[in-house]
Amino acid sequence: MELPKANPIKHLPQARRRWLGRFRIALMLAPAMAVLVVLYLGALVLAFLQSLGYAPLYQINTFPTLHYYQDLFSSTGFWQSVFYTFYYALIPTFVGLILSIYLALTLRKRFALKRLFQYVYKLPLMIPYLVGVSLTILLFSNGGIIARVLHLIGIIDNPVEFPRILYDHSGLGIMIVYIWKQVPFMTLIIYSVLLGLGPESEEAATTLGANPWQTFWYVTLPQIMPGIITGTAIVFAFNFGSFETPFILGGGFPNTLPVEAWRAFDDPEPARRLGAMAIVMVISVVSGGLLYLYIAWYRRFEKRRGRV
Amino acid sequence: MTIRERRFSRDGLTPFQRFYLIFFALTVLSPLIPMIIASFAFRWFWPDLLPSEWWASARHTLTQPIGWDYVFSPYSRLFTAIRNTLVIGFSVTLLCLAISLPAARVLAREKFRAKGLVEFFLLTPLIVPEVAIGLGVLLIFIQLGLAGSFVGIVLAHLIPTVPYAIRVLTSVFQNLSTDYEEQAMVLGANPLKTFWHITLPMIFPGIMAGGLFVFLVSSNVFLLTFFVGRGQVETLPTLLFTKVSSGGVLDPVTAGITLITMLPGIILLLITERFIREEVFAKGFSG
Amino acid sequence: MGKRLWLWAVTIGFVLLAGSVLGQQAKGNPVAEKFRSDFLAGKLTWNDVLTEAKKEGQVNWYHWGGSTELNTWIDQVVKPELAKFGIALKTFRVNDTRNAVDLVIADNASGKGLGMGSVDAIWINGENFYTLGTQNLLFGPFADKLPNSKNFFFDPKEPRSKLNTSDFGYPTNLQEVPWSGEEYTCYIDTARLKPADAPKTFQDLETWLRKTPGRFTYIKPPDFNGNTFVEEVMYAFNAGGPEPFQKRAKDLGLRNFIQATKGGFEFLKRIDPFLLGGGGRDGVRGNPIYPNSPDALQTLLVNGQIDMGCEFGKYNAAIQIKNGRFPPTVQNIIFPQKDMISNKNYIAIPSNSPNPAAALVLANVVSGIDNQFSKLSQIGYPLGIDPGRLSAADQEAAAKASLPLPGITLAQLGDNAVPDTNSSLVKVLEGIWQEYIERQSGKPLEQIIADSWNTQVK
Repeated sequence: MELPKANPIKHLPQARRRWLGRFRIALMLAPAMAVLVVLYLGALVLAFLQSLGYAPLYQINTFPTLHYYQDLFSSTGFWQSVFYTFYYALIPTFVGLILSIYLALTLRKRFALKRLFQYVYKLPLMIPYLVGVSLTILLFSNGGIIARVLHLIGIIDNPVEFPRILYDHSGLGIMIVYIWKQVPFMTLIIYSVLLGLGPESEEAATTLGANPWQTFWYVTLPQIMPGIITGTAIVFAFNFGSFETPFILGGGFPNTLPVEAWRAFDDPEPARRLGAMAIVMVISVVSGGLLYLYIAWYRRFEKRRGRV
Repeated sequence: MTIRERRFSRDGLTPFQRFYLIFFALTVLSPLIPMIIASFAFRWFWPDLLPSEWWASARHTLTQPIGWDYVFSPYSRLFTAIRNTLVIGFSVTLLCLAISLPAARVLAREKFRAKGLVEFFLLTPLIVPEVAIGLGVLLIFIQLGLAGSFVGIVLAHLIPTVPYAIRVLTSVFQNLSTDYEEQAMVLGANPLKTFWHITLPMIFPGIMAGGLFVFLVSSNVFLLTFFVGRGQVETLPTLLFTKVSSGGVLDPVTAGITLITMLPGIILLLITERFIREEVFAKGFSG
Repeated sequence: MGKRLWLWAVTIGFVLLAGSVLGQQAKGNPVAEKFRSDFLAGKLTWNDVLTEAKKEGQVNWYHWGGSTELNTWIDQVVKPELAKFGIALKTFRVNDTRNAVDLVIADNASGKGLGMGSVDAIWINGENFYTLGTQNLLFGPFADKLPNSKNFFFDPKEPRSKLNTSDFGYPTNLQEVPWSGEEYTCYIDTARLKPADAPKTFQDLETWLRKTPGRFTYIKPPDFNGNTFVEEVMYAFNAGGPEPFQKRAKDLGLRNFIQATKGGFEFLKRIDPFLLGGGGRDGVRGNPIYPNSPDALQTLLVNGQIDMGCEFGKYNAAIQIKNGRFPPTVQNIIFPQKDMISNKNYIAIPSNSPNPAAALVLANVVSGIDNQFSKLSQIGYPLGIDPGRLSAADQEAAAKASLPLPGITLAQLGDNAVPDTNSSLVKVLEGIWQEYIERQSGKPLEQIIADSWNTQVK
């Protein structure tokens, strides 16, 4: 195109133009960055300062002290809390991932009512976790619908015989809610990667004599890796910091770390509130650190494979 | 076709795949049936599969409204919760789009030194646990007197939505050629006019898509509303929380509120499936 | 790099700014302050209060919002009543009364005094009132200055004034007015447990549980329904009964406290494996279920997982049967004989109430005879006013308004009633229960008691 490039500031001397350009960039980024810096980064910094004993709000200022961390690490049940938090976060991520990969691969096919199915499977993605909690209580509680069906066909006699799925440290109820909500999410991400790929490389592999399992393992899986990494990282981080589901469906003390953090923060005793901030920092650092390692590992893996 | 062939082919499902899809559809849809029954129940004791007495026959025998009568009465605060959810949702959407648009435009079009850092920073709210942000923001708001206020909740909802909106809008701007805007400028339009008459109409579908999902996220957020709202601002998720957190049986009122809390999601699903492709859908989440 | 520095500078600047807003002294609005001093000095007529309340125009009432019956009743009855005085009632249904207390404390900490806070009135008792009282966050001695104070005994020489002037052993100093009275009452499902076989004492309970393990459990402390069960156990296993638990912690002393609570906690530990899900074997801990709330406990009963439950609410079983949540086979029992805790709950006005005059009108309206009767007959919330202050005709009307109690009589409830535990001891008991029962700490019981005492008693 032969039209001259329009630039409203082009008649200005170059140094000034560069400065104005930078100013414009900063100005346009400022509102969004301000919200995130003040609220999100500010929140984390304030939480960190409080966990070190800086809390003029409660007339406490023993900054800097590691006292709240020491108390936390030596308190009864803390390490069990850590275990449960990992357990409830990891298992649904893993199980959900396997279910999602298979669902995404199946979705590539043409089948009757596919259009309708694409509405249906996304529904859990669109509604709050609390709806999932509510459905789980209705179905899986000891006197719930499933227990009643089992009673009807004569498998159990009394609700006590139904396995405890909710309000128990096995965490089955919590994990059911996570998987139910998150499979559509991970499926969507993997499916959208698959859509961008096209069938060529898989067909080539098949032509060259690979069996379906080999095709999946050596051709499809590496190609959908970016989707898998993103999906699992987001889901794990969410589960690790999730509050309402373990709060309602968990087995009581020791609770997961986010629930313990809320309980401590909800305590009228200011010292406990500072302890809550120590828990918050532990959650952030552990979750952030793990995800960093996870993504670093993935980068190295891609590099070794010759892709960047 | 043999099963082995079907596994490869783009048409035709294996019996297991068919079962798998039906199973998924059932896990999503079948719990709704007992939920609807529960919302119309009056006496429903173990081990009955259906209520022994229904809402319809009991509602006129009591002095206070029960079941759906209660849900739709002013006493349940359902309409307050719906109104709050909508007001917060719309405010968040408008504010979020207003601050995300310029940022997305810069990120899509300009090169500058700190760009990598800004992009990285925009990703982090997705992977820092919500409870940490929730409690930290609450600390700030307690000090600023924003805890328990609408403004506080709207600002808090910006944290998960702004990074999301920026990512969606950045990809919209990236797919947009700058030619038309440049021509308009050459023809003498000022930047504001150019944006209003040229850029905006072209990116409008993208803005709509981003806006709908921002609204959806805001209407589904529980933790930030609950922490920052301090129980003073009731939205649909917090209303449902008070009902299910007592650990009791799912009573008819809770069942009714559960069904109503699903409505915004269902409506948005019906709207968005029509004109948003799966890739765009996923874009906001995957970065 | 420049950008990064900038980010940190803004953040740190912001945090310091936020920090500097703090630590101011709470100051009230002068108009509201003058109203308070005039009212408490008796310079205002009730009409002056009504005029002022109308000017304020609204009242923010914070109350526990877990009962749909109560929520409906407040909206149906109290709201229109206040509207007649030109006051819009705004109710906040909190999950826990402590949230309202926290709000009062937070408002005060950010410098909001009378006429400027967010909470006008709180439905309150026990620990929460104690917190407000000890932190000096109450409006003042208003209870005997309301027109409806004629419905209460406030004269300390009158023995029936005790529950009006003392809340969990802490003096109310007329800073709250009673609005309901309750008794910790147990119920059984007679479809599975005959009233004749139901336990009458804690010893009976243990014998019955050892015979049929898993048919009972109690609500988990720190829910006050759980605390009260623990307190009743303490009373029953202490040779001196409830008496030492009426004293304030510093008057009682740790040594006496250990003496008074040891037997009770040993009992709670003994029955732990025989509760629902507990496994039913001595010394082997199963996975006992302690429900979080009355709702959760009721679910266990309705599902047939347990045969007996206990919670606050004389008329609770009657109401739940009426509303379809309990089967008609449920009945109340008198348990534990001579140790059933009974108390009152109140309306308090905090020191930073934004609409103090309207709050006074609210307190007066809910202690009116008609509203008290309507609350009793419609939703089974017992009278907060004293029947002894009512006319013979009103006393008869009160008896008529009461719902029939399945299986027991009001007289029996009265005969077995004992007072609540002093609020300074409640947190100590909570702490011991959590460490000794919930967390199964291996430390010796006496040390657990002493540890909890030392953390809570100041």
